[in-house]
Amino acid sequence: MAVPVATLVLLLCAWEAAARLLHINRVILPAPSEIGVAFRRNYPRLFRETGITMEESILGFILGGASAYLLAVLFVYSQIIKDAVYPYAVALKSTPLIAIAPLLVLWFGNGLLSKVVMSALVAFFPVLVNSANGLTAVDPEVLDLMKSLSASGWQVLTKIRIPNSLSYLLAGLKIASSMAVVGAVIGEFTGATEGIGHLINTSSYYLETPLMFAGVIMICVGGVFFFGFVSYLERKIVFW
Amino acid sequence: MKTDAAMVEVESVSKSYASADGAVRALDPVSFSARDGEFISIIGPSGCGKSTLLKIIGDLIGPSQGSVTVAGHSNHIARQEGMFSFVFQNPVLLPWRRVIDNVRLPLEVLGRQSRDPRQLLAMVGLSGFEDRYPKELSGGMQQRVALARALTFDPKVLLMDEPFGAVDEFTRAALNKQLLEIWQKIRVTVLLVTHSISEAVFLSDRVIVLSSRPGRVKEVLEVPFLRPREAALQETEPFQEVVKFLRAKLE
Repeated sequence: MAVPVATLVLLLCAWEAAARLLHINRVILPAPSEIGVAFRRNYPRLFRETGITMEESILGFILGGASAYLLAVLFVYSQIIKDAVYPYAVALKSTPLIAIAPLLVLWFGNGLLSKVVMSALVAFFPVLVNSANGLTAVDPEVLDLMKSLSASGWQVLTKIRIPNSLSYLLAGLKIASSMAVVGAVIGEFTGATEGIGHLINTSSYYLETPLMFAGVIMICVGGVFFFGFVSYLERKIVFW
Repeated sequence: MKTDAAMVEVESVSKSYASADGAVRALDPVSFSARDGEFISIIGPSGCGKSTLLKIIGDLIGPSQGSVTVAGHSNHIARQEGMFSFVFQNPVLLPWRRVIDNVRLPLEVLGRQSRDPRQLLAMVGLSGFEDRYPKELSGGMQQRVALARALTFDPKVLLMDEPFGAVDEFTRAALNKQLLEIWQKIRVTVLLVTHSISEAVFLSDRVIVLSSRPGRVKEVLEVPFLRPREAALQETEPFQEVVKFLRAKLE
């Protein structure tokens, strides 16, 4: 912990010194102190907008994660569903979100819903792939054991496949937590009236670079906490 | 304990697999029967199909030809009735379940209340480990949990596929001794697949020798030693004679 903090302090000092001594234009690169001032002046707004973005991200994360997991369970039991859906899931994953973002804003409006949908779309794929792997990557001897007991499909699912998939699911959710924030911010860039993406976007129009920096730092911290929370859940749930 | 009624009847069971070069015979027709409560070992060179035979008997895979009956039922019915219990080379424990819950798994699946899982854990010498997780146990201890799990639901036939193949010599001897003690307390027919000739002789009433692929019964030996058997038996001249005889059959 001490080393990264020291790096940060050192970097900020160098940055501050460079900005003052070299007279760098504050529109291009404001000094940390100026970012601090922007933060102090705007913090109620910064927190509000970050809160909105995090709300969109978390809702999208839950929506995308839950639907991906359910689909992964269906994949286990139906090769037809898998064949029918999986190629399109890959195609969707390969389409840059930013390319379809305007369409999604058109369909779902420039409010909360379109951001939640975008967030869910990017959170969906890592959870789908990981969960499908976890549900099927069961030791064949465990399946033999269950077969020797004439276990039903439901028993194999609930007693073996689902617990077995949890470590894979949580690994997917960790990736999805970062992706979800990206999705929400892209949504806000495309068309929104609030949220941290909107704040960053508008402050770039007005050349308020210190406020932009403050916004970037806020969403960075929000994303780190989100990821940290999912990592914490992973350690608690997958304890074995 | 023992009666003469046949518990397991294996009739002309054979198995071939389709491959790129046509059908590969894994098992030539094999027939034998096991009495209720009998302990039978099946030995043979690697790849002779002895594990396949065990899986066919337990209805995990189907034979190409032939049939297996257990207590008068087809082995398919027998599996559905929960008459078979497997112990594999690996313990196959579920890492997210405590030891006691691993032992309880068959009872949950079969919806049956047979033996007390705690009592079985005590029998395999694992009292006090009920609330541990598998990763906290050594390989030998994990295999003992697997043995306790295999017996909780009072199976008729215990099918063991090289159960002690993955543990060291020392642990193996201890596990064999424990297995004998438990088998003498619990009335169960045992079919054990093993690589070890002396293990087979020490544990069994009869030893079945399979030939190399495709496997077929080469020799059935009635083990002449009285029970209960002590570990010291393995050092005696007659024991070594039997082992030597079987080794010659295998070569």
